[in-house]
Amino acid sequence: MALELGPELADVALQAEEVSGPTLENEGAAALAVGLAALAAGYAERGIGAAAVGAMAEDDDMFVPGLIMTVLPETLVILALVVVFIV
Amino acid sequence: MSVGASNPEYVNARVRSRRASLFADEDYRKLIRMGPSGIARFMEESEYEREINELGARFSGVDLIEYALNRNLAKHFQDLLDWSDGRLYDLIARYLRKFDVWNLKTIIRGIYTETDPEEIRTDLIMAGELDEATIDRLLEVDEIEDAIEVLNRTIYYEPLTEAYEEFEETGALVPLENALDREFYEHLLDDLSRGPIAEPQEGPEAKYVEFLQAEIDFRNARNALRLARSGADLDPASYYIEGGVLFDQSELSRLVNDYDALVDHIGENKRYGKRLSGAMDRLRNADSLIQFEHALDAALLEYADTLSSIYPASISAVLSYILAKEREVENIRAIARGREVGLEESEIEEELVIL
Repeated sequence: MALELGPELADVALQAEEVSGPTLENEGAAALAVGLAALAAGYAERGIGAAAVGAMAEDDDMFVPGLIMTVLPETLVILALVVVFIV
Repeated sequence: MSVGASNPEYVNARVRSRRASLFADEDYRKLIRMGPSGIARFMEESEYEREINELGARFSGVDLIEYALNRNLAKHFQDLLDWSDGRLYDLIARYLRKFDVWNLKTIIRGIYTETDPEEIRTDLIMAGELDEATIDRLLEVDEIEDAIEVLNRTIYYEPLTEAYEEFEETGALVPLENALDREFYEHLLDDLSRGPIAEPQEGPEAKYVEFLQAEIDFRNARNALRLARSGADLDPASYYIEGGVLFDQSELSRLVNDYDALVDHIGENKRYGKRLSGAMDRLRNADSLIQFEHALDAALLEYADTLSSIYPASISAVLSYILAKEREVENIRAIARGREVGLEESEIEEELVIL
């Protein structure tokens, strides 16, 4: 049975592919790249933010350095955003 | 044991800032030349301002310094426990239980000598895991047996109950105190090290385990040397603490009877031999046990220093701070007491543990 159906199944599969095209267009891939970069930045900021708040709690003067350090990983997202303009 | 994510970044940032406000070596040199009131004034202008002001009306002189130090220590360590979560809390609390043990010993001694509860309270260091309510209840009871009953459901209950029988027979507090000490040290390595194979091999926890093992080893070494020196007829096995790498129980029992072999055994150990070589020479030539004990403390402090500079987001920096703070409190106390009894500056300097 399976052997007889084989060629027909392949036909169906081939047809389906012709209709849908690639699963991910360039724009979609770029969007995914930005999203992943933002996720990574968030993860990096988690640790830095915790440490910055700790430092601020001990010494108020640490507010500005703490803030700057905390947002540094944001550059990841900005760089990833370049991809959106390239595609 | 608490569950959930731990937050080493936050605790580390705060701890590092507090570590920076510890006294430096030059400060000690200044303090050595001052009298008790001078030291109190110096402390008032530093970290200890609040404690000195709070206690200034009630105490004076060396007592004021001592109580201010204890209270400041308790404040900082309680903060550590407040900040930390999850695994980190677990690791910190494990070490800070040492103050629980100290408090329990003080309370038991207080009950034994029928001291006034308020007087006992001034000697407590509220830095451990036991909460204030439990301590309050402990201070209210009149019998040691009732005190043990209050501790029901803490880790100290079982060992104390066992030791209590011996206490009833002999009337000496030693079995109770030993039971507390052993309970503390044996819980230190709970679920961190089950034999050499299950130990973490590298990373911050491996360092933590190594440090705790050093602490246990040094404690064993100290007890063994004291026993060997005094020639007291005590069973060394009852003082032996498990978990170290320097001795096992039978080795210790054998070595206590032979002082030279004991010293050689410590000197030949590959983990500590080099670190303690200077102190070992001094121990062999002159026989100053105190000098050797200071060398042990300094070796521990050296461990702590390495800990502070590796593995930034972990327990190691916190542990290093705890040790540095303890050492500071001990040093200031030594200076104050030394000045009070009129020791020479150089004599006091020998008593201090500085690198």
